[in-house]
Amino acid sequence: MGKRSRTLSTTSDIDNNHHPRKRSAHSPVNLPTPTSTKQMSDDAMSDYYSDEEMEYNYSDADQDVDDVENEEEEDYAQFTPALPAKKALAWDVEYDSVEPDQLREIVTKDVDHVAGIFGVEPEIARALLRHYKWNKERLIEQYMDSPERVLASAGLPIQLGTFYPSTSRTPAKAKPTPRSKTFSCPICASTQPIDMAMALPCGHTFCSECWEMYLVSKIKDEGECDVRCMEEGCAMRIPTAWVTKLLDKSTFERYQELLLAAYVADNKNIRFCPFPSCDLAVITPNFSPTASALSTTVPTVHCGHNHTFCFGCGEQQDHRPLICAVVKMWLRKCADDSETANWIKSNTKECPKCVSTIEKNGGCNHMTCKKCKHEFCWVCMGPWTEHGTAWYNCNRYDEKAGVDARDAQSRSRASLERYLHYYNRFANHEQSARLDRELYAKTEKKMEEMQIASELTWIEVQFAKRAVDELVRCRTTLKWTYAMAFYLEKNNETIMFEDNQRDLERAVEELSELLESPIEPATISELRSKMTNLTVYVQKRNEIMLNDTAQKYQDSAWIWNVSVPEF
Amino acid sequence: MAGICRTRLAEERKQWRKEHPFGFYARPVKATDGSLDLLQWEVGIPGKASTPWEGGVYKLTMTFPEDYPSKPPKCKFTPPLFHPNIYPSGTVCLSILDEEKGWKPAITFKQILLGIQDLLNDPNVNDPAQSDAYTMFKNDKLQYERRVRQQARENFPK
Repeated sequence: MGKRSRTLSTTSDIDNNHHPRKRSAHSPVNLPTPTSTKQMSDDAMSDYYSDEEMEYNYSDADQDVDDVENEEEEDYAQFTPALPAKKALAWDVEYDSVEPDQLREIVTKDVDHVAGIFGVEPEIARALLRHYKWNKERLIEQYMDSPERVLASAGLPIQLGTFYPSTSRTPAKAKPTPRSKTFSCPICASTQPIDMAMALPCGHTFCSECWEMYLVSKIKDEGECDVRCMEEGCAMRIPTAWVTKLLDKSTFERYQELLLAAYVADNKNIRFCPFPSCDLAVITPNFSPTASALSTTVPTVHCGHNHTFCFGCGEQQDHRPLICAVVKMWLRKCADDSETANWIKSNTKECPKCVSTIEKNGGCNHMTCKKCKHEFCWVCMGPWTEHGTAWYNCNRYDEKAGVDARDAQSRSRASLERYLHYYNRFANHEQSARLDRELYAKTEKKMEEMQIASELTWIEVQFAKRAVDELVRCRTTLKWTYAMAFYLEKNNETIMFEDNQRDLERAVEELSELLESPIEPATISELRSKMTNLTVYVQKRNEIMLNDTAQKYQDSAWIWNVSVPEF
Repeated sequence: MAGICRTRLAEERKQWRKEHPFGFYARPVKATDGSLDLLQWEVGIPGKASTPWEGGVYKLTMTFPEDYPSKPPKCKFTPPLFHPNIYPSGTVCLSILDEEKGWKPAITFKQILLGIQDLLNDPNVNDPAQSDAYTMFKNDKLQYERRVRQQARENFPK
């Protein structure tokens, strides 16, 4: 029970206002309670929801539950005699891919909503929302309390009636020089015609060239879209109208990008696709990538250009079944040269005198340091003078210092071997996936030729493509299972895990082998049925592997052999 | 922008020569050919009266970037000062000198110098830049003050 309320509260924690565009491919979870409770604190709210929702499930559990409660299938079986035919994997999160324009629409909708409630210009609403990191509830609450305080803290003029009159170039309070036809700009220290002066409602007046220079440097150099008045300590915001007016097209476009990026950065439920030059974003209306959520699931998503990435950490691949925090550890381990250090540790020793690193590549134990000519014993590291002529054995070998040194060396070697075991398999699947794709690229051509030569239709020669796609998917899973196994404590769960891994691996290699078999018109139908069957089997094994790990994350059954930092 | 930088500094220099706070000095460095380099200044900041900093005049160099006043100048005590917000290199850690934080083009170097003078006896413990002064300031105020007074004596103007 406890578990269920946790899962449900995760779903209901999310505020449902930001993202009106819900994806319906996976059945969305209908929250039974309307949004009127959103002023409650998070905790209160989730408790409230979970109680409510549990009851709701019992009384009305024939739909809408398949998405979140896979872990409780058996439980539900008694309530729901007929589960939907296609069950979502326990990993699935609802998501939707959006274009930058759609994202802008979403922002505009939020802005208009707040502007409508407060009766202010959209410009003001946008600035307020940005100041409140797009937390609409908190903004509305505090604004209702004291609009003046909220406006001032956001760097906006308090009297909204006078908002940004200076879109015309009349300064609010330009300090007129005696003739008042010119004024002196304190930034560039030059005297200029009065109509070059511009001021925000705060009255700090500078020339338009300096404003422009300042805006360009903020936007282009610093990538900052929240630009304040140039006067010391003045927090007055520069309105978008000024940006439009003063800047050239490319700087303005950059400004627009920054605005959007700031919106995405403030929203936990939106992430840009991390692939180079892809400008799509993914929205997960019912999933927040919190540390606790990411410790039990891997939110793999695909953007509209079919780039696969992890919504939690932005890794540009499907890294199921390994959770983000451990993936990060593993990748860092593989990337940094800690293993080089490990190798040095197991294969070399330092000269006891000058501390040069020495690799012994043969010969007896009588070492002479190339650098400082110090003579010592490789085994006990003591000076050679004490050894006499026992060149191949050190009579001090069994002394404690020698034994300890040997133990430390072999431990280090064992840990290196263990790492290499997992790393080699991890790297092997990565490479094999690439080779499978290359092989397919060659096969594809042949298939096309065959299609022309034989009676087969286009759709009938697609089986190899399906096989390769599945193969690559499974190899990705396998790859990460090896990284996972490296960090798993040895117990019954890991034995089962490794069994699943082995079954999947065996099937994958079989399919991979089949892919290499020659394609001849005479045998193609046989090959096709074989390959199709195996593809389906491999897909099943992969599902089993993933579902099983997901289940055990939910049950907190995985025990890591290192302490995993919170992601 | 390079144009603005020198015009602005020339104007600030004019204002400074007309009027500047008591005990301070600031002059552009002379280049080898005898001309003035407006981008490099030698500055002296006096410790405030009735503080342990009193009596010392602390030497500082200010280096202005070509895109001043879009970007702030770099301020560095020479020699480095014993103070929680001054890096071991002597560079001053102050929000108005950080373009991502409080720097605004309207800030003049006079304001900067006054700001640094304020910082001397009013360190910001949330933003330590050197461990020696920070630890002593946190753990042993008396010893810290003794050390500051000693430093003031060392920086007594000749």
